[in-house]
Amino acid sequence: MNQFSYVRVTSKESAIAAMAKEKTAMFLAGGTNLVDLMKSGVTSPERLVDINNVPLATIEETKTGLRIGALAKNTAVAENALVIRHFPLLSQALKAGASPQLRNMATVGGNMMQRTRCHYFYDSALPCNKRNPGSGCGAIGGFNRMHAIFGASDKCIAVHPSDMCVALTALDAVITVAGPKGERKIPFGDFHRLPGDTPEQDNNLQRGELIIAVDIPFNQLSAHTHYLKVRDRASYAFALVSVGAAMQIKGGNIADVRLAMGGVAHKPWRLKEAEAWLKGKPATEENFRKAAGMAMTNAKSQGGNEFKLTLAPNTIVEALKTAAGQV
Amino acid sequence: MGIDKKSEPINRVDGRAKVTGKAKYFAEFEVPGVTFCVMVTSPVTRGTITTINTKAAERAPGVLAVFTHLNMPAIPGWAEQGNNSKLPSGGERYHMLGSNKILFNGQPVALVIADTLERAQHAASLVTATYNKAEHHTDLLKNKEKAAMPPRMGDYTRGADTNAHNTAPVVLKADYTVPIEVHNPMELAGILAFWEGDDKLTVYAKTQGVKSTQRTLAGAFKIDEKNIQVYAEFVGGGFGMGLRTWPQEVVVAAAARAVKKPVKLVLTRDQMFTLVGYRPYTIQHISMGATQDGQLTGIYHEATAETASYDDFTEGTVGMTRFMYACPNVTTKYRIVPLDRGVPIWMRGPGEATGAFALESAIDEMAYKVNMDPLQFRLKNFAETDPEKNKPFSSNNLKEAYQLGSERIGWAKRNPAPASMKDGEWLVGYGMSTGVFGAHRGESTCRAQLNADGTLLLQSATSDIGPGTSTAMVQIAHEVTGLPIEKIRFELGNAAFPPSGSQGGSATVSSVGSAVFDVCTALKGMLTEAGLSFDNGTVKPAAGKSDGLQEVLSKQNKTFFEVTKSSKGGAEQEKYSMYSFSIHFAEVRVHPATGVVRVKRVVTVADSGRIVSPKTAASQMIGGVTGGIGMALTEEGIIDHRFGRFVNNNLADYHVPVSADVPHIETIFVDKPDPITNPMGSKGMGEIALIGFSAAVANAVYHATGKRIRELPITPDKILSA
Amino acid sequence: MDDQLKNGEHTGTSRRSFLKKSSLITALALTPDTVIKAAEKGIDEQIASAIETMPLNVTINGVKQSVRIEPRVTLLDLLRERLHLTGTKKGCDHGQCGACTVHVDGQRVNSCLTLALTTEGRNVTTIEGLADGDNLHPMQEAFLEHDGFQCGYCTPGQIMSAVCCIREGHANTPEEVREYMSGNICRCGAYSNIVDAIMDVKQGGKKV
Repeated sequence: MNQFSYVRVTSKESAIAAMAKEKTAMFLAGGTNLVDLMKSGVTSPERLVDINNVPLATIEETKTGLRIGALAKNTAVAENALVIRHFPLLSQALKAGASPQLRNMATVGGNMMQRTRCHYFYDSALPCNKRNPGSGCGAIGGFNRMHAIFGASDKCIAVHPSDMCVALTALDAVITVAGPKGERKIPFGDFHRLPGDTPEQDNNLQRGELIIAVDIPFNQLSAHTHYLKVRDRASYAFALVSVGAAMQIKGGNIADVRLAMGGVAHKPWRLKEAEAWLKGKPATEENFRKAAGMAMTNAKSQGGNEFKLTLAPNTIVEALKTAAGQV
Repeated sequence: MGIDKKSEPINRVDGRAKVTGKAKYFAEFEVPGVTFCVMVTSPVTRGTITTINTKAAERAPGVLAVFTHLNMPAIPGWAEQGNNSKLPSGGERYHMLGSNKILFNGQPVALVIADTLERAQHAASLVTATYNKAEHHTDLLKNKEKAAMPPRMGDYTRGADTNAHNTAPVVLKADYTVPIEVHNPMELAGILAFWEGDDKLTVYAKTQGVKSTQRTLAGAFKIDEKNIQVYAEFVGGGFGMGLRTWPQEVVVAAAARAVKKPVKLVLTRDQMFTLVGYRPYTIQHISMGATQDGQLTGIYHEATAETASYDDFTEGTVGMTRFMYACPNVTTKYRIVPLDRGVPIWMRGPGEATGAFALESAIDEMAYKVNMDPLQFRLKNFAETDPEKNKPFSSNNLKEAYQLGSERIGWAKRNPAPASMKDGEWLVGYGMSTGVFGAHRGESTCRAQLNADGTLLLQSATSDIGPGTSTAMVQIAHEVTGLPIEKIRFELGNAAFPPSGSQGGSATVSSVGSAVFDVCTALKGMLTEAGLSFDNGTVKPAAGKSDGLQEVLSKQNKTFFEVTKSSKGGAEQEKYSMYSFSIHFAEVRVHPATGVVRVKRVVTVADSGRIVSPKTAASQMIGGVTGGIGMALTEEGIIDHRFGRFVNNNLADYHVPVSADVPHIETIFVDKPDPITNPMGSKGMGEIALIGFSAAVANAVYHATGKRIRELPITPDKILSA
Repeated sequence: MDDQLKNGEHTGTSRRSFLKKSSLITALALTPDTVIKAAEKGIDEQIASAIETMPLNVTINGVKQSVRIEPRVTLLDLLRERLHLTGTKKGCDHGQCGACTVHVDGQRVNSCLTLALTTEGRNVTTIEGLADGDNLHPMQEAFLEHDGFQCGYCTPGQIMSAVCCIREGHANTPEEVREYMSGNICRCGAYSNIVDAIMDVKQGGKKV
């Protein structure tokens, strides 16, 4: 790790001010991804602005939903009674991620900011356009079993590794960020980006901006939710494919539904077409399967991840069946 | 004379040190003035270093020295060897920092030594090098034409009809793949070395053999073994990677001599994939013939494994096929393919675990082909005597083991038809396999010291990488002398103690335990001569005598009785074939939609003679099964052959099983003494715990799904695409 | 701007910025390597070190520790290499194995991904601080009794994690324990016994 300066701040204003002082400064929250990336030499900030003492960790009910502070720990959110009551999908997704130790450290904001686990990104001896723009994509034509089947570009086929973000995108969350020019709101689905020609940009946060909170609007989906994560071992592994499913079922029919996937794209992948098609239809396996097929319309294999073309729709069906109480 | 009673389960004698954090592993010794070494490694797989720039690193704060091939002090023993390996694989020798040649990706090209770890790490990142890349070969499948017979493993043929496996009424032909697996003990490898003057070296090492490390260092530095002290009391797992003293350990010792300070090297986790060996990628072809009623008539088993360009690594992959079943015609071949890779090393179960996956899968496949229960098929082809060596087994209780295990798992209650059992959405399957490994015994020496207070100290230069060596030795001493466990102390991991072999090949209890047995027996004789005897847990005057231990010692002007004994197997052992056996039963769940496989239940039975230490022996078994679950379902070292570089060299992407992967494991011991192997009647356990287990899982997956997966690990993608 | 920030700016100036400001070193940049090296080893080196380090006050196993460290030092390396509390283990250094698990303010965390400076004013408990003098903690006793380890290297992390597993209320069934202990890898494969040990402590009802 290179030497860097370290400053501890206690307010979001001082955090934003401290960030402006040094071009390569970064915010340090839980550190579970950032410190790892610094150890690997992928990221070398010259200043860390420790925001752990900034009071942004509360979870509170608002008139329209829940507001979760960006510095709330993953464990705190997953175990929070309001979250479990209103948004069990979020709790399930968080508990499927990482390990208890990491969840005790990692924050909601940091989880959104976590970078891909693509090995070519982590290993500076290998080409990666995300780490080193213009160096090429090692995963294309290489080891890409874990990689994207949706929205990839010829520059990058990496996937976003978060479970929490899959739930938040399904739940129509809205992010509030603050920067030198004040606060702004970003719908969750617009936060992360597809790689396109600039895979070095994971998301649409502007330099110097700090994530303040995430708001999740109330819905009628809490009775039928399931987060299904398929991985190479039973726990403590990144998703091959994950599906967050939440439904409101009235008289056997799907009144409302949300579907999102992880491990398949550069961003948490919302399945809006499949949702729209399912609305109003009976909650049957046959319909789930049709919706899953619809969700796969633009899926594309990179070779090593061919199996995801089968696994992804199967996982959608299983998640929906489980959410509907049919398993 | 031996031990005839069953042993009691006791807690580990060194357990308290482990649960309190007081147990010190090599990197944890406080050595004044210690400095930190970090290695810079090659991103290139084959070629030469053209330039290497160390200036920025040398100038970085806290840096004492940077060593590369340009300024590394010569290592006399290596210089004497020269560069020519004289190996059939033909490569040059690998002498780390000895030249500008790059023989494998991840090869160290520079060492940075600094006053703190952070400074050494940072300075290492400042070293830059340019390379002249040469074409490299790391893919065994694309280099099969280089396969050669290793000098240490010839072909084997039994029976006149070498074509029986092709011409039998029922024929099975199948190919099996075991990928690269990496030992990945939890403790990172390395060394802490310091010198007194130029000819006295002390090291704290991560080694499975303190004497072997001492010998290697003595050979490298051309100094007397007596001048090299090696300590390794606690070793945080080895699984085979500590059976070699690796080049970087020698180089760090040389660097410590050059900088005249203690130097500590702790490998990074990614370096654990490239610098301390691995289980080699191995492809196997089995061709098997049987009669319609399930009598094996011929087996052909050929294994092809990778090795380094600079070393002919060889292991017993096809050994089990030669003797496990009563089959009249057997041919085995073993080939190695030199690649631009670091050298492999035995990994728990070693080649036998690789071979057992193929053989025990094939046996299961053949059983289904001839419509027999896989257990009945094994019994029908049971070898009463060793058909390879034409000798009786010293002991073989496999039939009893089959029965104990099958009853416990409920084998007969399953529906044997593939894909016939369900639990909700999950498919249910049962599978079994056999494991076997040689019951080896090497020469070992132990010193006993009986103190005036009646406590017994035993010392031997052996190791404990986890199985509980001291605990087993204390139990043996307790059983011979009758002294209570808490009055006996066994010390190991110190090269100055009486010599023993390395801890490997499941031989420690048999080898060192025999020395403990012998030295305790000798001590008894010594006491008798002195008019004393062990009596009900203490030393008492012999019948008709009045002086106790203290009086006798004081009259002899001694503070303790002392005796050292060396022990090895006798000529009678030549008359027998000696093996440890295991039977594994696994019950799995397979999800048909996601391809996820979960091991739900395990029953594992060991026929490994008399069990010396039941509690630690059971742990050995569950540990082997856990490793077997990894081998079967999760573990695979993946190389991007375009670069010759690992793409999952960390513990997030190389999946060692976690707790959630492992069910409750039931262990059963036949626990019958072997009359031949050693005075304890014991046989080894470390390897058989794992050998064959992966096949039990693969066979259970077949039973659950009707899908035969012949390439490990059995990940969800393989189930879905089968 | 608050005081903390100003304070941070004073104490945490990067080496690079320091070097820019140092006229002595600027001058040396024009002189031969050997001279620079000699100078850096000398007084400038000491000045640079002082500026590169920051004070840390943290309570470890009930003992207040005041040290000066570089910001890049992790809690794990602080414990092992500077405070010689080597019970906390380094298994991967990347948050992928759990061997480095300690409690910070009662929560289990990976000390390898915790920059030591972030523990300012906090309470850290390591395996060395778990027992009450010579009396082992019930979890240590249970690991001994159930042989919940082999080589012992992952053991401190397992035990620290296991204590929290119960305190968090995640030790109700063996399945739950397996899931909530999956952040601690044991390569020897003692999981089966570890789960037994934890269930035993949980069912024994002793305070953990």
